[in-house]
Parts: sequence; structure tokens; C-alpha cells
Amino acid sequence: MKSVPEKQQDRTATAGSARQIRLREQLTKAVFFCTASFAVIVVAFILLFLLRDGYPIFAAEGILPFLLGPSWAPTAVEPQYGIFPLIAGTLLVTLGAMVFAVPLSIGCAIYIAELASPRVKSILKPAIELLAGIPSVVYGFFGLIVLTNFIRVTFDLPSGETWLAASVLLGIMALPTIISVSEDAITAVPREYREGSLAIGATRWQTISQVIVPAALSGIAAAIILGIGRAVGETMAVLMVAGNAAIIPEPIWNILSPVRTLTGTLGIEMGEVAVGSDHYSALFGVAVVLLVITLIINLSAVAILRHLHEGRTARPGKKPLIPSHISDGIITIVKAAFLVLLLILLLAATPWYVAVLIITLAGAWYYGRDRLSRGQIETISFGLIVASAIIVLAILIIILQDIIINGLPALSWEFLTQPPRDLGREGGIFPAIVGTLYLVTGAILIALPLGVGAAIYLVEYTREGRITRIIRTGVDLLNGTPSIVFGLFGFAFIVLYLNAGVSMIAGQITLALMVLPTIIRTTEESLKSIPQSLREGSLALGATQWQTISQVVIPPAVPGIVTGAILSIGRAAGETAPIMFTAVVFSQRFLPDSVYDPVMALPYHLFILATNVPGSATNKYGTALVLLLLVVGFYAVAILIRTHFQKKIRG
Amino acid sequence: MSESAIITTQDLNLWYGGKHALQSVSMHIPKNRVTALIGPSGCGKSTLLRCFNRLNDLIDHVKITGEITLDDENIHDRKTDVVSLRKRVGMVFQKPNPFPKSIYDNIAFGPRVHGVRNKTDLDRIVEESLKRAALWDEVKDRLHDPALALSGGQQQRLCIARTLAVEPEVILMDEPCSALDPIATAKIENLIDMLKEDYTVIIVTHNMQQAARVSDYTGFMYLGKLIECGKTVQIFEHPKEELTENYITGRFG
Ligand SMILES: Nc1ncnc2c1ncn2[C@@H]1O[C@H](COP(=O)(O)OP(=O)(O)O)[C@@H](O)[C@H]1O
Ligand SMILES: [Mg+2]
Repeated sequence: MKSVPEKQQDRTATAGSARQIRLREQLTKAVFFCTASFAVIVVAFILLFLLRDGYPIFAAEGILPFLLGPSWAPTAVEPQYGIFPLIAGTLLVTLGAMVFAVPLSIGCAIYIAELASPRVKSILKPAIELLAGIPSVVYGFFGLIVLTNFIRVTFDLPSGETWLAASVLLGIMALPTIISVSEDAITAVPREYREGSLAIGATRWQTISQVIVPAALSGIAAAIILGIGRAVGETMAVLMVAGNAAIIPEPIWNILSPVRTLTGTLGIEMGEVAVGSDHYSALFGVAVVLLVITLIINLSAVAILRHLHEGRTARPGKKPLIPSHISDGIITIVKAAFLVLLLILLLAATPWYVAVLIITLAGAWYYGRDRLSRGQIETISFGLIVASAIIVLAILIIILQDIIINGLPALSWEFLTQPPRDLGREGGIFPAIVGTLYLVTGAILIALPLGVGAAIYLVEYTREGRITRIIRTGVDLLNGTPSIVFGLFGFAFIVLYLNAGVSMIAGQITLALMVLPTIIRTTEESLKSIPQSLREGSLALGATQWQTISQVVIPPAVPGIVTGAILSIGRAAGETAPIMFTAVVFSQRFLPDSVYDPVMALPYHLFILATNVPGSATNKYGTALVLLLLVVGFYAVAILIRTHFQKKIRG
Repeated sequence: MSESAIITTQDLNLWYGGKHALQSVSMHIPKNRVTALIGPSGCGKSTLLRCFNRLNDLIDHVKITGEITLDDENIHDRKTDVVSLRKRVGMVFQKPNPFPKSIYDNIAFGPRVHGVRNKTDLDRIVEESLKRAALWDEVKDRLHDPALALSGGQQQRLCIARTLAVEPEVILMDEPCSALDPIATAKIENLIDMLKEDYTVIIVTHNMQQAARVSDYTGFMYLGKLIECGKTVQIFEHPKEELTENYITGRFG
């Protein structure tokens, strides 16, 4: 009813002064441009502040001695700041994780894309989304309680906190990334290749292994690189199970040695360091190195995927990114590397008879395979592929059942509504639940306008060109930044420089920066899915650009935007590293009075209970379960909204 | 039909879900001849063609009844190995679909998957196949260049060579020239003429001049049914059915 007079007013205004309207349009555009530049500014600020606080150590030690120094002993009488063991630790853990995750993921991706029936697919795909949704501190908790214990008993060690544990856990965490990106790549291989190969009389396995996977190779490579990025940047899980001794394993393939990563070092030491000391500066130096490594990794993956995407729309006739002889070479190298690595690891870690068994099997395969018929090879290969899918599913089930079965007894009205007592062994987690909700609410309130604004600018106001490229690169960089680096930045910039102190608002801003790329990307996608004809129809009626955007484009895009926002909330709710130094305290009897007070948060509470408070098994599991339910709940709502509106659009 | 048939269908029906796409098709494909399938688009030509090498198996919710025999063996028999069936019945698609590999590797792909490892054998097969597909002279100096760098017509002849390399008995061609220019089309038509000495060719086309030029036998399909089938000369000059005559004289389609 009310809109009628408003509309009329609009019309008189239109008639009145076109200049005024033009001015208003330009102002709107300028506002959106600012939100879009924000991502780039943040990246610049992060780099600036890390370098500013890290600079003294580079100046004092020199860049090369800092990078290659053999000993990291910042609290020794004569402190030593050589991060080589940390870099080595990061590389080794990541390598191990990939040896574990790559074959499993590719097998699983092939299964989903090529072999699974629609029904099995409809179970497996959400399962993998769920695996991606489990917060890293929950992985760490599971690893600490179950995995390290298993390793300790199996190998008869004093402690199971080892390189092996960290690699397995990181491998599990990298699975969903590698699986979903590879599956996309495999599914995108044109049908004609498949039919062409089958029509020649190749078996399904020959078609998969010799045509489809090679054609999807660049996408699979990007998937693996993204998985590596995820593993290198992960903090909490790896810190909880790696043992954290800053040593290089002796001998180098001893996977039962403890190791320490770059991220782990930051997670452990940042909380206790004196601000402004050499040690403080050295930690920022570590963060710079970490950031540079992850940014290179992520940018190369993004570059490959973007090239693929453009190639797909420009097919056919376009040459593949990787020429075939090189890709054949890559495949051979990867195969050889895997064989060697696997052998080394097996020889080093398992009892000798297992190693002998495996070598025998490998040998039998190598010599026997020419004697096997194509059908037999296909059966064996499909068996392995199905097995990898089953293993992935089993991993998820094991983790979930462990946390649910052990966590359920803790859940009670009191647990959910009382503050903790006796260092969290008794009482509940009410302040932590509320604190987490406060943090994510604040984060989304900050990130949503910025992210949506940036996406509107990118999709509606510009053509693809240099400016969008710079902004997109900024968003990609932000997306690839490890969460612990956000934590350090939040501490250096918001807590110290802006003098906000350890406070809720500092955590909210830090989390907001972290989820910004997700919001931008999901909003962009939903805006792009609005048909161009709607925009043209509106503009053809004489509507201004902003009227078109606000009244024609945005309304149908809202479900997509909301989905992205809820996914971001879920992600933010499970994060520990960004809030660890900026916003949280372990124990607090009362709720915070203002945004300048620190808060409790579920992930941090779980982290401290798991690592610092002996003997509170029930409450630990209870906290893990509540956190898991909260995060999964957010994801479930997001997925429901998505499917609901997809159905509605289809009819 | 007087000549000996290599493929025979008997009361063949096919449904895509609820859609009855082939309705009681019975026909003979004579050996070492070129048979053309013509008819308006959507009448089921491709569907019928894809039955002969069971490529429709890849599509969900397809139901087939009736019988197809290749050399008197039922191709839907449980004993029949679909992989060796496809080796005997090769196919060239509407849009050239070389793999994203080198020219050489495209041709060698088939022999390799069928177990040929020896380098000299492979070299020989590649050369012969390319020669038979009249492509050898154009590519012999750049066998290891990517196949996707070839022109459309060359890509299609490469796909034919790729099919020849596994020495099939029957070659199915689904509108092989529809994406090509007239010169490339003429080359492929010449090629088909040479191929029938050694192979049986079944070609789908909606270009009637092409059917008349290259084929010995022609089948006319309409709305999922095989309306009429016989010697090309007879179909084009004295069609028995009114529908066929209307189509050929361009009164519809
Ligand atoms: N994969 C499929 N799923 C459902 N319907 C199909 C499929 N392929 C073809 N059809 C339908 O079957 C009919 C015959 O198609 P097709 O054999 O491709 O015709 P033609 O090659 O003669 O143009 C068409 O109506 C088409 O819509
Ligand atoms: Mg067709």
C-alpha cells in the first residue's frame, strides 16, 4: 500500500532532475567500489602488519639464516631463531598427508563421478560435505584421543603424537577438498571422449584410466594443490597431534618422530610471548613465511582452475593447458614418486613382514599384470576404487560415532545452561555457547554488507578487466590465507594497534575478514545465475541501474546469498585460530557486558579442555558434540534452503 | 534382400524412460555395402545406430526389446562381451571427438587397449590407418602434435583412422559431415566409397544428396518407425510409401 505514493514520488523525481539521479547512481557505484576494494586493502594490511612486526627479526638475523638456521629455540638462554626445522616439519607433514589423501581422494572421486549409482551418490556427496564441515579443533580432539592412542599402542611408543598422526589427520581433512574438486574435473570431461573410447572397444577402466583421468589431469592437479594448501595452513588439528618437537626426524623418513609445523609454532607460542620482543618478531617472521608459501600454493591452483574454466567455454580446438607429452611425463613421475615414497614409509614404519608382504604384492602386480586379462584388471581396479570410497565413508562414520557415543552422556540441561566449574571438568558450557553465537553474529553482521557489496560491484557494475582481476586476486589471496595468520593480524592490528584489547569485537572483525571471501564468492554465483534478460527487461523500461539491481536482481538472488551467509557462520563457529589471541578467555562465570569484553567460545574451550585439563573426558566429548551439532546444524540449514529454493525454481 | 546380411534387427523397440523412440524396427544390413539411414531429425536414426554397438547402455532408463544379431549372434546375449562387440562395430560421431592427446596417440589408443605393445607394430598400424583415412600426407610430419590442433575435417578423418586402427567389421557413422565444409565433406564421401571394399558402413545423414551419392541401400525412418528400406536407387526413384516420397521430394522435414 505504502509503495504507491513512493513510486509516484520517484517518477516526479525522474522527471525533475536527471542530473540528480545520475549523481545518485554514481554515488551508489562508488560505495560498492569501496566495498569491493576492501578485500584488497585487507590483504595489503595483513602483509603490511606482518612485515612491520616481523621486520626486526629479518634485520637482526638476516633472511637466509632465519630461513635456514638449524635450530628453533626462542626461550633458550641464548635464543636461536632458525626456522628450518619448522619448514621441514611443515613439508614432511604435508607430504605424508598427501601420500595418504591423494590415492584415496582420486579413487573416491572416480567412484562418485563414474561408477556410483545416483542413490549412492546422494549418500556420498553429503557425507563428504559433512567431512568438510567438521571443525578442525574437533578433528584435533579426535586425533588426540583416538588416533594418537591407536598409534602409540600399535607401534609400542611412549607417545603417539607423531608425524604419522599429524599426516593422517591432515590427510583426512584434505580429503573433501581434493575429492570435490577432482570430481568436478572428472565430471566435466566431455561425454564425447567417453563414447569415443568405448566405441573403439576400450573397457570402462581403460576409458577411465587412459582417456578420462588424463583429460581431467589439470583439474585433479589443482585439487591436489588446494589440498596441499589446506594442509599447510591448518593449525589446531596438527598442533594437537604432532608432538611439536622442533626437530628434523632422524632418520628423515622416521614417521614416528614428533615434528613441529610453522602453524603449530604460532599456535603454541603466540599466546605466551612478550609483545615487542625478538621472539615476538620471530613469530611474525614465521607468519610471513607461512603466508608466502600458502599464497603461492593457492594462487597456482586458482590459476589452473581459471584457465580450465575459460578453456571449457572456448572448446573445442583450444589446446590443453598441459601438452600431452608433458602430462604423460607428469603421470609417470607421480606414479614413480608414490611408489618410492610408499615403500620408504612402509619400510620405515611397519614391522618387516608387512613390508615384505607389500613388496611381494607389488612385484606380483608388476609382473602379473600383462598376464591378467583386461576384465581381471578392470575388476581389480574397480575393487580398489570402491574400497577407497568405503574407506572415506568409514572414516567419517568412525569419527562421528566416537564423538556422538561419548558425547551424548554429557548432554544435559545443566550442561547447556550452566557456567563451567573446576576448570571445566564440572558444570556446563553455557557461556561458551553464547560467546560463540555472539562472535559469529558479529562477524556476519560485519562481513555480509561488505561481501555482498563487493559481489554486486564485481557482477553488476564492471566488465571483466584489470580492476576486477586485481579485486579477484585479492579475494583469492584472502581465501588462501591460513586462519592462524588472521589470528596474528587481528592481534597485531586490532588488539594492539587499534588498542581494542582482547575483546569480542576484535574476534568478530577477525572472523569477518576470514569469511569475507566465501560470502563474496557465493553472492557472486547467485547474482550470475540471474538471467541477463531480467536485467535487460528492467533497463528497457527505463529503470536505473540501481533500481534494476535492488528490485529485479537481488530479490531472486537472496536465497543464494543467505545460503552463503549461513555456510560462513558455520565455518566461523568452528574456527579456533583466529580468535585464540584476539577474543577469548578460557573461563568466565558471566556473560560479557559489552563488545570490549573478552568471551568464551566453544572451539577454544574444547581446545583447552583437550590439551590442558586432564580427566574431564565426559565434558570434553560433550563440548565436542555440541560444537559439532552447532556447525553441522548451520550447514544443514544452508543446504535445506538451497534445495528448497532450487526445487521452487524448477517448478 | 538378396545379399548376405551382417546385421539384422527383428522387432526392435527402444524406450527412453516413457518415450518410445524406436518402434518395431526390423531390417537387414548387407555386408560390405554402404547403408544410409535418412529421416527428419528426432526420428530415431542416432538411437538405432547406437543400438548396433550398444552405446545406449550408457544412458540411464533405457529399455530395449527385440533382437539384434551380428553375424547371427544376438548382441544382447549374456555371452556377448560388449567390449569385443564394440571392437567389431566401430563408430564415428557427429562432432569430431579426438582425445586430447597427440595424433599418434589417438590412433594408437585402440590397438594399445587391445594389447598391442610393440612399437614397430604400432607405428605400422598408425601409418596404415592414416593412409586409409587419406590423412597420412597431411600429418606425417607432425604425428606428435596435439590432435586438437587439426582442422575440423582433419579431426573427423583422424577419428575415422582411429576407428580403422582396431580393424572393425562394421563402421557406424552418425552424420559425420554435418560439422564440416563442402570440401572436407567431399573428402569423407570419397573415403566412404573406398571403405566399403573392406568394411560394412552404416551412415546416418539428413542430407539426401549425400545418401544418394554414397550409399547402396537406404532406410527411411519417421517418428521412430522404419518406413521403408531397400536399394538406394529404388528408394529414391520408386519409393513404395507415400511418406518416403514426400520426404524425398522435400514436401516436409
Ligand atoms: N538420452 C535421451 N534421453 C531421452 N530421450 C532421447 C535421448 N536421446 C534421444 N532421445 C529422443 O529420442 C528421439 C530420437 O532421437 P535421435 O535418435 O537422436 O534422433 P535423430 O538422430 O534421428 O535426430 C528424439 O525424440 C529424442 O528427443
Ligand atoms: Mg542424430
